[in-house]
Amino acid sequence: MKLNFLQGVSWRPVVSYFFLMVIFFALLQLYAAKKLSVLGALLIILPLSVLLAWLLYRRVIGPLNEIIAAARDMARGNLDRELHLCTPDEIGELARSINEMARQLRETIAMITEEKNRVRAILNSMADGVIALDRDGRVLLVNPVVEEIFDLREEACLGKKILGVIRNYDLERLLSRTLESQNSTSEEIKILGAGSEPRFFRLQATPLKSCHGETGGVVVVLRDITERKKLEQMRTEFVANVSHELRTPLTSIKGFLETLLDGAIDDPGTSRHFLEIISQETERLTRLVDELLNLSKIEERRVVHRWQRVNLEDIISRVVSLFRPRAGEKSLTLILEVSRDLPAVYGDPDMLAQVLINLLDNAVKYTPPRGSITIRAMVRGDQLRVEVEDTGIGIPAESLPRVFERFYRVDKARSRELGGYGIGLAIVKHIIRAHGGKIDVQSTPGKGSLFFFTLPLAENVSG
Amino acid sequence: MSPRSSFERALAELQQDILRMASLVEQAIYDSVQSLIRLDVAGAAQVIMSDEMIDELYLEIEDKCVKLIATQQPLARDLRVAITGIKILLSLERMADHAVDIARATMCLSGQPLTVKCLDYIPRMARLAQQMVKDGLDAYVNGDVQKAREMCALDDEVDYIFARVFRELVNSMREDPRTVMQSAYLLYVSRYLERIADHATNIGEAVIYLVTGERWELN
Ligand SMILES: Nc1ncnc2c1ncn2[C@@H]1O[C@H](COP(=O)(O)OP(=O)(O)OP(=O)(O)O)[C@@H](O)[C@H]1O
Ligand SMILES: [Mg+2]
Repeated sequence: MKLNFLQGVSWRPVVSYFFLMVIFFALLQLYAAKKLSVLGALLIILPLSVLLAWLLYRRVIGPLNEIIAAARDMARGNLDRELHLCTPDEIGELARSINEMARQLRETIAMITEEKNRVRAILNSMADGVIALDRDGRVLLVNPVVEEIFDLREEACLGKKILGVIRNYDLERLLSRTLESQNSTSEEIKILGAGSEPRFFRLQATPLKSCHGETGGVVVVLRDITERKKLEQMRTEFVANVSHELRTPLTSIKGFLETLLDGAIDDPGTSRHFLEIISQETERLTRLVDELLNLSKIEERRVVHRWQRVNLEDIISRVVSLFRPRAGEKSLTLILEVSRDLPAVYGDPDMLAQVLINLLDNAVKYTPPRGSITIRAMVRGDQLRVEVEDTGIGIPAESLPRVFERFYRVDKARSRELGGYGIGLAIVKHIIRAHGGKIDVQSTPGKGSLFFFTLPLAENVSG
Repeated sequence: MSPRSSFERALAELQQDILRMASLVEQAIYDSVQSLIRLDVAGAAQVIMSDEMIDELYLEIEDKCVKLIATQQPLARDLRVAITGIKILLSLERMADHAVDIARATMCLSGQPLTVKCLDYIPRMARLAQQMVKDGLDAYVNGDVQKAREMCALDDEVDYIFARVFRELVNSMREDPRTVMQSAYLLYVSRYLERIADHATNIGEAVIYLVTGERWELN
């Protein structure tokens, strides 16, 4: 116990004080004995006190200054500075503890930084958007997905209120509601983002509890559900359209059957005529159901693709020969411009034939007599390109983006007259997509249309 | 809390309120244009209905603003902030009304396919007008005088397209009397879009006045 106490004391200052005291007494003694004048005493004292002051400075004040400077530096965030005071006294001890503290802080900060980087990395790699707000509703963080959706930069929005960054009524309402109630909320909202099309998002807002359990900010996750919304809408339209399309022939069949049952059956001329109409309508119904099945099969990708090398030249000539008689009836010229040695593609020959059939069917249908239809096939880069061009009625510009939609027909009355349901091109598009290709159309109303699609060449397709 | 800081807080809140209303107005303009392009009656009806909410919000914020001026009697810059707030509110409210007008026109236009050609000018005008509204509000949020001044150029473009649309529509009326109804409605629509763009420049002017204290004519 006693020894411990003694160990903590550094001897140097004690000794020097003791020494000073001895000298002081000696001088006092000498002065009292009149052996020394005031001047003499001063002459002895002065160099001694200078020496002492110097010692004090070297041993105490200098090191303390250094420690103060280092501490200031650390407060400013520079923790790499180390104190080199290895004296065995209290000051050395102080320096060592400060070094130790700095090391610990360095470690903690490194840990926190690493943790923060990890969280950042997770946020950055998320497919969903994330926005965090503090208690006052100011932006703490947004991730890159949000930056992209709203075309903004994170630095520009930190510390701002959400409305100053993203002007969306529903988003702001959801966030302030969550901030206030401190309950998780979720909602679907529409956002006019950077693009021209609106996007739909499912929002999930969760309150952030701060570590002391007081109310904190809020974090919201935005999941893009635009595709799903579109599909939902298409499905609704589809069902409505199908019902309508099925209803029309059925009504007519029912009407004629009733008339027949009511007695028209006894008149052979009329009944034959009616039965013919019924047969035609049944034909229409069958075709519609077939195409629907076809379409849904393709959509569900349940069709077993008979993947194989396909020589498109053969298919083209086969399909074109199918259409020759019909074209002849309308005095349409069919022109074939197929490059020689057309490379093969991978795909299902029946489906690819279906594509050409649907395109040629349209071309023949929508081209008035004495027009011409040209079928071209060539290599473009690493793709095979096939074109079907006609000199027909063409498609107005505003309808161009829609002709590949199910049941879309430019002129409903006219198409129906020609027996169309608006499914042909939807099937074509699905088949080409399933084959990894692209299809598009150009058209000038009154002049003609050009449908073209591309398929990857077989040599570029693995498997 | 000193009265000063409570006043400042009230001003900040006012700006938030204005932006909240702006978000609804931007949405209404967008929806009205979309429903016009698609001739979507349901969408147009929704725009018309949502205007009620905008009007309510407008009255509420205007009230707050007036009370603020009356009770705090702000001076100099603070007064400018409050007054610009009212100006911007007014422009926003007008824009919302024009969005409703466009939606009404859409209701009348739907039912038959559009045969008039100038339909691709109108979306372009609409895009520009929407961009201007966005720029004006962004300038307001950030006190960005530069951006506010740049809106001039867009407004000139809108005016230019408007003149062209006007000519084309009048021509089409002359050529084919069957399109008179359609053309007339589209003429209205383009006029509304042009007005929306004008109100957007008003917002730009208000921002310039707010920041610099100068009046500046953008158009
Ligand atoms: N070559 C073309 N020339 C002009 N219009 C065309 C041409 N091809 C397609 N269209 C337009 O695109 C619409 C959609 O075509 P699609 O093939 O999907 O349907 P359809 O021909 O009406 O009916 P279906 O093919 O199901 O019997 C057509 O109704 C027609 O208005
Ligand atoms: Mg077809």
